Amino acid sequence: MHSQIDRRAFLKALSAASGASILSIPRAHAAKAKARVVVVGGGYGGATAAKYLRLMDDDIEVTLLERETLYTSCPLSNEVMSGERDIKTLQRGYKGLQKHGVNVVHDEATTIDPVKKTVATASGKTFAYDFLILSPGIDFNFGAVEGYSKELADTTLPHAWKAGPQTLALKQQLEAMPDGGKFIIAVPPGPFRCPPGPYERAAQVANHCMHHGKKRAKVLILDANDSFSKRPLFEQAWKELYGYGPGGMIEWIPGAQDGKVERLDPKTLTCYTGFGEHQGDVVNIIPPHHAGKVAKDLGLATFKDKWCEVKPENMESTKLKDVFVIGDSCVGGELATNNGFPKSAHMAITQAKVVVASIVAKVNGLPPPVPIYTNTCYSVVAPDWGFSVVHLYRVQNGQWVYIKEGSGISPVTFGTKEQPKPVPRIYRRLEVEYADGWLRNVLADAFA
Amino acid sequence: MRKGVLAVALFLTGGSAMAAGPDVSLLARTCNNCHGVGGVSAGASMPSIGGLPRGYLESVMKQWKYDERGAATMNRIVKGLSDDEINALAAYFAKKPWVPVSQPVGPAMHKKGKAVISENCEDCHGPTGGDPDEDAPKINGQWAKYMELELDKYRDEEFLMPHRKMKKTARKMKPAEVPAAAHYFGAQGR
Repeated sequence: MHSQIDRRAFLKALSAASGASILSIPRAHAAKAKARVVVVGGGYGGATAAKYLRLMDDDIEVTLLERETLYTSCPLSNEVMSGERDIKTLQRGYKGLQKHGVNVVHDEATTIDPVKKTVATASGKTFAYDFLILSPGIDFNFGAVEGYSKELADTTLPHAWKAGPQTLALKQQLEAMPDGGKFIIAVPPGPFRCPPGPYERAAQVANHCMHHGKKRAKVLILDANDSFSKRPLFEQAWKELYGYGPGGMIEWIPGAQDGKVERLDPKTLTCYTGFGEHQGDVVNIIPPHHAGKVAKDLGLATFKDKWCEVKPENMESTKLKDVFVIGDSCVGGELATNNGFPKSAHMAITQAKVVVASIVAKVNGLPPPVPIYTNTCYSVVAPDWGFSVVHLYRVQNGQWVYIKEGSGISPVTFGTKEQPKPVPRIYRRLEVEYADGWLRNVLADAFA
Repeated sequence: MRKGVLAVALFLTGGSAMAAGPDVSLLARTCNNCHGVGGVSAGASMPSIGGLPRGYLESVMKQWKYDERGAATMNRIVKGLSDDEINALAAYFAKKPWVPVSQPVGPAMHKKGKAVISENCEDCHGPTGGDPDEDAPKINGQWAKYMELELDKYRDEEFLMPHRKMKKTARKMKPAEVPAAAHYFGAQGR
């Protein structure tokens, strides 16, 4: 039924187009669009969705609503904070998307009317949609840590959990910290954005201190949780590179040992846990967060009143038809086995591609495609020491299935269980290089 | 024909080999994250894969899957794919055009690189890397950083690499010859 000619014609066309950034030339006087899609949020997820919609069917009209004109990648921003990376390497504008024919509007989506199918913005504009893709990232619940506030985050106590000016502010504080100083990182209860992020941050702070005459510095992680992503890899690296535990540079206090920070005195930089108090020279509170406000206001954050539940087959909201939620705002994966979707850039990108395939099939009267979800997430703990985790999810019988064979962390040891051998350093060095290559490629995949 | 309509044909043509799993084009788009649209990487440690020989792509992925070849990340990723999916991906990317990304190189490095590659690499990869033996990858305009890292793998006794000739050749190169060869090929265009 599928003729060879169609296939050849198609491949030829795709060949001619691939690799170039001029894949879609917007037609000035296009016939009526097959569909109007509004994308809210121009991070990794939203940018990828907007671009790939245009790549795969340029009869679809795409509007991207994004407040900022410059995007700063959260992944690898811990390296900026420690002075190992220039923030410019993390930043991209929206010209690439415009070249694909995306209507980029720098405005804030404020209210969504799911009945009329419209999005209203802060500047008073209204956009009608046939399909709405929400990729609004996260918003913070500052009140969850008593004494902390948005005002403090924007001034003296940056959380730097959205990369940008706060990343640079925290960098300045680290640079000004004296030898013997204490850098406290307060980790909120999971699930949170970038599961390995706080622990990578601890390593980057330690790396900075080791090489800037602050060998007596301490990095204290006060954690609301009892374990964390890539834990054996982090603990191994911390121990070997910086010293780990009460006598080492890095110390981790889990929730079960009173690690959860409940209150902060911003004047004395003291963190209060249930029973204890810890004073720091730099205090980095990562406040608890939830789905972006615009999605939450719409009543979509049904999971623990924080995250938006979606359908496995295409990321459509379980609450609202024709509304899709991707990126850090959503929750998915095998939650029952503690193998949920990690809140990562890579996940957001593959989720975006699943949504796009679904919408393109729908508007062209094609059968719904079978999705696949992948994740790759690198952590860099020193200039020559990195590691990663990968995840693979398929959808079977309408449910997400975590595929163990295609998932897992970098090896902690080689050899056998009885006779473990250290992993040759080349593996750790390669993953630092791959982290950088990954960054360049995901930025290009989403924004170029 | 308009491109939009053509792109949609993807759904009709790609999936016949794997009725139950995802369409190969959808699967391939997950590769784009790290290897670029059409398999043309945006750099520098990640290789371009579009237009490489089908046999090469297939054997490398299967070697990773069955632990016959070392890797830092890819070996974990491909273990979740069926052999049919690997075959389909190899065929998919092999059909893409090879797009060299020519990277600038200084005259001294270029000269040294030329000498190194004519001694070590040219027999199998051709003088520019663009005309290799069957099933050897094209490396003209491949990312220099990636090629340096690959050579490091071949040179490392602890890194499991399968190709005897590559191992032998890479290990007899002097340390300074590695970046010279990589940058020479990286500078080549079509």
